[in-house]
Amino acid sequence: MNAHDLLWGMTPAHLPAGAPAWAKDAVGTVVVRRAIVAPGFVAVGVRGRLREQRFAALMPMAAVQRRVAPEALRDVVSTRDLPALQALDQLRPVLAPLSWGVTGSAGFELATGIEALHAQSDLDLILRTPEPLDRNDARDLLATLDEVTCAVDLQLQTPFGAVALREWAGPSRRVLLKTANGAHLVIDPWQAVA
Amino acid sequence: METLSFEFPAGQPPKGRALVGCVGSGDLEVLLEPGTPGTLTIQVQTSVNGAEQRWQHLFERMFQEQTPPALNIDIHDFGATPGVVRLRLEQGFEEVGHD
Repeated sequence: MNAHDLLWGMTPAHLPAGAPAWAKDAVGTVVVRRAIVAPGFVAVGVRGRLREQRFAALMPMAAVQRRVAPEALRDVVSTRDLPALQALDQLRPVLAPLSWGVTGSAGFELATGIEALHAQSDLDLILRTPEPLDRNDARDLLATLDEVTCAVDLQLQTPFGAVALREWAGPSRRVLLKTANGAHLVIDPWQAVA
Repeated sequence: METLSFEFPAGQPPKGRALVGCVGSGDLEVLLEPGTPGTLTIQVQTSVNGAEQRWQHLFERMFQEQTPPALNIDIHDFGATPGVVRLRLEQGFEEVGHD
């Protein structure tokens, strides 16, 4: 179970008493979050229709009926005509040799058929990078992504967390690594956080 | 999309300016520029509506611990967690201080 995986099987009964009403209608498909939780549970995010409708919850592992990883959404074709989906079409051949997947609104929509994307949505992608990605190579990849018609937010998944390609390709010495223990500013995202 | 404005007591302006952070989900971009002595102004443009109180509390807690430098800060937020906001601001303060 990894961050950005989509899970089916959660029910309103799994939500805590204080959960907002919209969350009960939205638990059908939830997104795995990066967080450390008690054994037997997985940290998930419930996403409602509005941008501010995000709710962090715990799902019992035993309730998981189906899991879809971002990689499984690479080749899902949508009939909707939106910039994020056009960008995905353009990038598929470019990214083909790499280990990548679709996350965020686009991933959610492709996996569920629920219309989560709109004309202003950016395209969220994840790239698995078990080995360090040179910062010059990051710049080249970013330049390629920036050629498409829509803003692309690609996260590099290192063994220790995720860092934005845009930041890794930029001039900042320290970059933000998002880990299960929270966010840290680090010099090398491919090194364990002290 | 919502724009929020905040003002806090501050020390002296630093010499430098800095741009830290990143455009992308769960992150924010922070532009820090020297301001008027004694005043820190913050403008937050956020994709998450209805979070003014949360920003207010986060800034109050940060600036209680240490008087901030006099700056005009521009924040573009893309749904960052309070932990990320804090890190980015600290990073920005460090960078304006270095110049």
